[in-house]
Amino acid sequence: MKTRIKEFRARYDLTQEDLARKVGVRRETIVFLEKGKYNPSLKMAYDIAKALNSTIEDLFIFEG
Amino acid sequence: MLNDTKKGQIFSIILGIGITTLVVTTFIYYIVGDSSIGLFEIISVPIILIIILSTSYIIFDRYKNIKKGLPAQDERLKNAAYKAGYYGFISAIWSAVGSNMLSIMLFDQDLRGGLVTAAVVLISGAVFILSYFYFSRKGS
Repeated sequence: MKTRIKEFRARYDLTQEDLARKVGVRRETIVFLEKGKYNPSLKMAYDIAKALNSTIEDLFIFEG
Repeated sequence: MLNDTKKGQIFSIILGIGITTLVVTTFIYYIVGDSSIGLFEIISVPIILIIILSTSYIIFDRYKNIKKGLPAQDERLKNAAYKAGYYGFISAIWSAVGSNMLSIMLFDQDLRGGLVTAAVVLISGAVFILSYFYFSRKGS
């Protein structure tokens, strides 16, 4: 699954560690999410979207 | 002031260090106390070393994250632990059956109950730690 987390993070000038702290996850999890190597739970996707003032649909690109 | 989650994480780290120390002490005591070093002891040394080194790395990794203000473990690592637990469980079942079968095939004798238990603990422990390590580094 592709994500636009990196793009949104840059928009708010947040580092991976800042975002990780806001969401309450480890920095590595943000790294793997940005690389598309990890599919988050609905809760984590919602928390990330909230932290980046965005929506799940905007951040995560589902490829059927 | 530490919250409950943080206290739990610090407790799990201290518990991890305690268990690792106990395993090392017991193993050294066993090796030193046993006058004849057999095949089993030789095989178990690298397995024990893998378990100790990997556990120390996991403990250090968690400590590093707590120091940075990040959680020691999150959803991704919990998933990795569940997956690794599944592999550890399967390997425990197969090592219980396989260790005795191998002993009969190779040495033409049954393994003592204690050795089967030791093989199950060592093999499933090593499989759990290695697969946890692999899944946490792989990402998903």
